[in-house]
Amino acid sequence: MLKDFLILMKPELVVTAILFLLLFIKIGKGIKNETMLPLIQVLLLANFLLGFFFNQQGVLFEGAYSTTPLIVFQKNILSLGVYLISLLCTDWLKKSQNLPEFFMLMLSALLGMFFMISSGNLLIFFLSLELATIPVAAMANFDLDKKIASEAAMKMILSSAFSSGILLFGISLLYGATGTISFSELPQLLDGSPLQVLAFVFLFTAFAFKLSIVPFHLWTADVYEGSPIAVSSFLSVISKGSVAFIFISTLYKVFQPMHDVWYNMLVILAIATMVIGNLFAIRQQNIKRFLAFSSIAQVGFILVGISSNDHTGLTSVVYFVLIYVFSNLAAFGVASVISGQTGKENIDDYKGLYKTNPFLSWVLALALFSLAGIPPTAGFFGKLFLVTAGASNGSYGFITVVALNLIVSLYYYLRIIRAVFMDKNEQPIDKIKINPAAKLGLLICGAGIILVGVLSWIYDYINSLT
Amino acid sequence: MNGSTIIFYLLAALTLICGILSVSTRQIFRAAIYLLFSLIGIAGIYFWLDYQFIAAVQIVVYVGGIVVLIIFSIFLTQQAGDKLSKQKIGRKIFSALAVFCGFALTMLQVYQHSFYPSSDIHVSPTVANIGNRMLSVKEGGYALPFELVSILLLAALIGCIVIAMRSKPETT
Repeated sequence: MLKDFLILMKPELVVTAILFLLLFIKIGKGIKNETMLPLIQVLLLANFLLGFFFNQQGVLFEGAYSTTPLIVFQKNILSLGVYLISLLCTDWLKKSQNLPEFFMLMLSALLGMFFMISSGNLLIFFLSLELATIPVAAMANFDLDKKIASEAAMKMILSSAFSSGILLFGISLLYGATGTISFSELPQLLDGSPLQVLAFVFLFTAFAFKLSIVPFHLWTADVYEGSPIAVSSFLSVISKGSVAFIFISTLYKVFQPMHDVWYNMLVILAIATMVIGNLFAIRQQNIKRFLAFSSIAQVGFILVGISSNDHTGLTSVVYFVLIYVFSNLAAFGVASVISGQTGKENIDDYKGLYKTNPFLSWVLALALFSLAGIPPTAGFFGKLFLVTAGASNGSYGFITVVALNLIVSLYYYLRIIRAVFMDKNEQPIDKIKINPAAKLGLLICGAGIILVGVLSWIYDYINSLT
Repeated sequence: MNGSTIIFYLLAALTLICGILSVSTRQIFRAAIYLLFSLIGIAGIYFWLDYQFIAAVQIVVYVGGIVVLIIFSIFLTQQAGDKLSKQKIGRKIFSALAVFCGFALTMLQVYQHSFYPSSDIHVSPTVANIGNRMLSVKEGGYALPFELVSILLLAALIGCIVIAMRSKPETT
């Protein structure tokens, strides 16, 4: 019993152990940021590497917690993302007055995501979703001397409280209509009665809030703009990735009897999300707002993959999220290095960046190519599999709209690349001395963007897990 | 309609009316007081259901703790007597319309649905039973959610302390 508990719950236990270690260091004498940050980076790397060992599948707590090789793989993706963020945002983190607290909150959010992916009933799901959200709202306020950061945190906590309220109402209706909250018992009890559909729509809304699907995306751009880049990247990559994982597994496993209902919802919302995300991304001047709308559009493509409702859909979404972690973190990483050294966040400031900072420019170009889905970057394969999975239902009108959106997205990603490589600028950003840790992070991201697409066994491996 | 039903409707009316008043009043201090009565109404519903322990927790935590906390923070941060600015009439109409439509939709579905009793075994709401289940890892135990909530509270505490202990004044 105890051995099962230790092995099955290993990812959560490791994260909790690191969390409490940081807490005790903080309560004790405390360590300077210069030594604290490498220590945290090593711990997070250890957390990521430990994810590959001693894995078993099984169920704990009467089905409230379950783990499978796929869930372990998803947790590893999230751990990798957190490790990369700790590397890429070195400049900002070093200056932070509350470094250990920042990581304590980040780790508790990560813990919430782990439990969320593993959750076996709606109670654990709701609690872990809260655990994955509330600490992030506090993290958004970590630029303590900026008013815009407080505003971002306030907007985030209010909108997430609102979405939690809707989720809880949906759960209570669903419990009333079926008499159970367990994911394994729900599918047999769903008969598509109007009350159950209404409850499902409320649940769906909560997911849509967290994934910032249009029209529930209004908080996204403001929160990304106001919070520190470390938090924006955490929100756009780790948060969204984890919610996408649990979203797809609840839709496929629990709400499978309601497939007709959610297929139509997904198609409409996917189109709205891609179109609105793309159109607004074109207009943005601030790099963080730009990346916010680009991430909204990317979620639209994830929805296309989810709509396929078979295991290619699941595979393509997990594969895409892995690629998305590398590409989006590379883009945020470059923005973080530049903003950490110069404080500049406008796209106009990036003009002529190639003249002074060729390395950063190439990484940014690679990341944006991958986000736009241009071969030979991994983003191309990710989008290809998502769209193929979406097309498996035979709704070609829908796929045509998706393809058109891909072209629009190409325009605004290339707009930034043009600014970086071709536009003239009298006063380009000075040569930036990149911190070795941040450089390592950027190199890992760059390698990931190229290799994940080229090495076909990664896709095969994910396919074997699903 | 027997006495019990009448009491339920009275409690529900207290909760709802005070809830509506607390979001529509223009004085923030009054909103807190209306919220207090709304929460007392919910505690009353728990008593009506014969869940004494949960009702007591509702009163101790929400009525005694959280509302007092809200009142303290109003006194410390706001001019408690000032009226909030008036909302535009269009905004009022649309919020009322949204609330009404949502309410009507939900009520319609709840009334049309034919409910059947839950298969779960009836849980006795005694303090001893709740306490045992809260920390039990066996069948019907809630140890995992309990620990999850404790981590959530730890994270919330850390976040609050960091935000409240800002050293420098704000700049725009």
